[in-house]
Amino acid sequence: MGHTHDHDHSLPAGGEAEQPVLDLSIPDSELSPAEVSRRGFLRSAGLLGAGTAAAATGAFAAPGVAMAHDHGPLGRSWAGRSRINTLLWLAGDHHIHTQHSSDAQYRVIDQVRHANAYGLDWMVITDHGSVAHAKIGVDKVNPDIVAARREIDDTLVFQGLEWNIPAAEHGTVFVHPGRNEVAVLKEFENTFDGTVKGAGDPTPANEALAISGINFLADAVTKRRVQDALFLANHPARKGIDSPHEIRGWRDANPRIAVGFEGAPGHQASGIAAPLGPGSGRGGYDNSPSAASFPQYPLESYRTWGGFDWMTATVGGLWDSLLAEGKPWWITANSDSHKVYLDNSKAGGGDFDTNGRYDDPVYAGSFASGNSDFWPGFYSRTHVGSADFTYASVMNGLRAGRVWVDHGGLIGGLDVRVRSAGSWVTLGDTLVVRRGAPVQLAVAIDLADGPNWAQFVPKLARVDVIRGAVTGPVKDRDVFAAPGTKVAKSFEVNQSTGRVTLTYDLGRADGPFYLRLRGTDGNRTAPGFLGAAVDPAGPAMDVLGSADPWTDLWFYTNPIWVVPNR
Amino acid sequence: MTVAGYDLGHRGTVEAEHWLASLLSAAEGSPVACTHLVHGPDPRVVVTISGGAPPVAPSSTEAAAAAVADHAAGLAGRAVLFPGVRSLTGILPVATLLSESAIDEVVVLGGPPCEPDSRIDTRDFVRPQYRDGRLVLMATPAPGGLIAPFEVPNPTPCCANH
Repeated sequence: MGHTHDHDHSLPAGGEAEQPVLDLSIPDSELSPAEVSRRGFLRSAGLLGAGTAAAATGAFAAPGVAMAHDHGPLGRSWAGRSRINTLLWLAGDHHIHTQHSSDAQYRVIDQVRHANAYGLDWMVITDHGSVAHAKIGVDKVNPDIVAARREIDDTLVFQGLEWNIPAAEHGTVFVHPGRNEVAVLKEFENTFDGTVKGAGDPTPANEALAISGINFLADAVTKRRVQDALFLANHPARKGIDSPHEIRGWRDANPRIAVGFEGAPGHQASGIAAPLGPGSGRGGYDNSPSAASFPQYPLESYRTWGGFDWMTATVGGLWDSLLAEGKPWWITANSDSHKVYLDNSKAGGGDFDTNGRYDDPVYAGSFASGNSDFWPGFYSRTHVGSADFTYASVMNGLRAGRVWVDHGGLIGGLDVRVRSAGSWVTLGDTLVVRRGAPVQLAVAIDLADGPNWAQFVPKLARVDVIRGAVTGPVKDRDVFAAPGTKVAKSFEVNQSTGRVTLTYDLGRADGPFYLRLRGTDGNRTAPGFLGAAVDPAGPAMDVLGSADPWTDLWFYTNPIWVVPNR
Repeated sequence: MTVAGYDLGHRGTVEAEHWLASLLSAAEGSPVACTHLVHGPDPRVVVTISGGAPPVAPSSTEAAAAAVADHAAGLAGRAVLFPGVRSLTGILPVATLLSESAIDEVVVLGGPPCEPDSRIDTRDFVRPQYRDGRLVLMATPAPGGLIAPFEVPNPTPCCANH
């Protein structure tokens, strides 16, 4: 495709996540004495406890790597592919449907061509788990994916599926390409899909089946059936059926496989006002509690807030309660593209149940104003700090939490570092510092330097630093509040081009804490769900039938932890 | 007040309301009917009815008894039928909604509190909840400067593949 890649095989400063010291499946006896010592240190710092794998590397990495920030050979996309801290920041989407889903319509190549044109470097095809998909579709989609990989060589195309998590919502499951990619996905779907197995109800047995599914994926990697596998929960608050203890259960079952959830759901055109839009809930979030939902979730959790899921958008809320445990859990933002807003095609005919897919889409002769989705890359992006442009590197970067997300191309690039005494780490990582040492946050933001896909240049108005104490594992697994977490600092952004640099003194480290960033175009804000003292100007609850996604843009980063040693 | 509870395994409120509609076409008087979510491993919806004469024998399950107690005390229950519900159609001032029906209060989520002259788009679907002996309608901002009930008439179905 005439697009060159800057193949730099040097490892990022933070190191790859699967350093053996962090991989608890590797016993101490197989580590070097230095590694055993390092693992013990992390353990005593509370960072390598039950299930913690991905967080915690950076303080041991070589400090002071010069920032090599260039936009590289862009070639095609406004998104660009910038190298920061030796990392390639690759934009992607792990939640995309095709004609192999009963409620979608596009060919694989339709989605891949659009994703590529809109600047995505990686994408995951995730058709719904179903009887027809498990039997036919999961096989039939593969040659189309393989062909798309050949035709579009500068977007990585993973095969995955959208798992009906037993007793819960949907989730993305995907694997590294390889000889067994279909076999593993097919066996997984036939054995663990909530729809295929009739395991939707919130029973203990069904919740256990979900855990078994995660363990199956881990086993498939351990046994080298596939090189890698990941699971992320999708639209977690949409129906209120992902309880906090289930989310914790997935994470703790295997944190190498279960790495996070959608901070922002897809279907972002869904709230555009009728009659020119669907006139529904942004993100497709228009539900109310049901008998299957977690009873303690408030009504507000059933709507998006500035386009983001309530679990993520609430400062001091569910996501923060997970991070305050000191355990990794990452957010993403995806299209969930089924049928694109104002597209003029429609689903082909054919018997979906018999064929495992619809016929190819056909010209509709009209514009589908009721469609709720955008093409992959058009609006939602998940930026992953990858060591290289490879399938393995993207999966490693996701697992390590080197991830930030944005809507509408709000910013062009982001370099976040927490530093102390010459060492620094970036997103997803943990800085271990001497107790009492001063710690500083340093942020460099490349403002949007070109138009987004609504043809305007977004303007960043404000950046918030959200900070919370690490309080360790929770006794009540259904807790969804982190009372100590709040917006600690806000920066008004008063320039419209170039790079913004922000520094913020985090004080002397006397206890473990984490921080994360959030930024906004400033168009629509309100006191947060937990009040103005926690979040004075957070995202507002989206209005059903009146949510223009282009005038309410946010970016969110994943966290960085700071842990003082003895 | 006699309250009857029906624990018939309805999976959701839509199914429960459908059953209720078929039942009450034959009922007399002006009944108050509520749905109650039964959480847990066997999720379902219990229906309670008071003030009518339903021609079906009530259930004697634990969930039905709990729902009946909540209904009788006005502690919980999502009201499908209540005094004045039939006049709550179209767009109304909040003051009218309060005066024409048994609803005691409108609470707005995600926006400023409403005033008596705030206009509410009922969407012909008003399902207030009993709370502490009061009938409270949860509402939220809606297009055109209106407010609307939080619960929408046709949400993306629970079984939607999206």
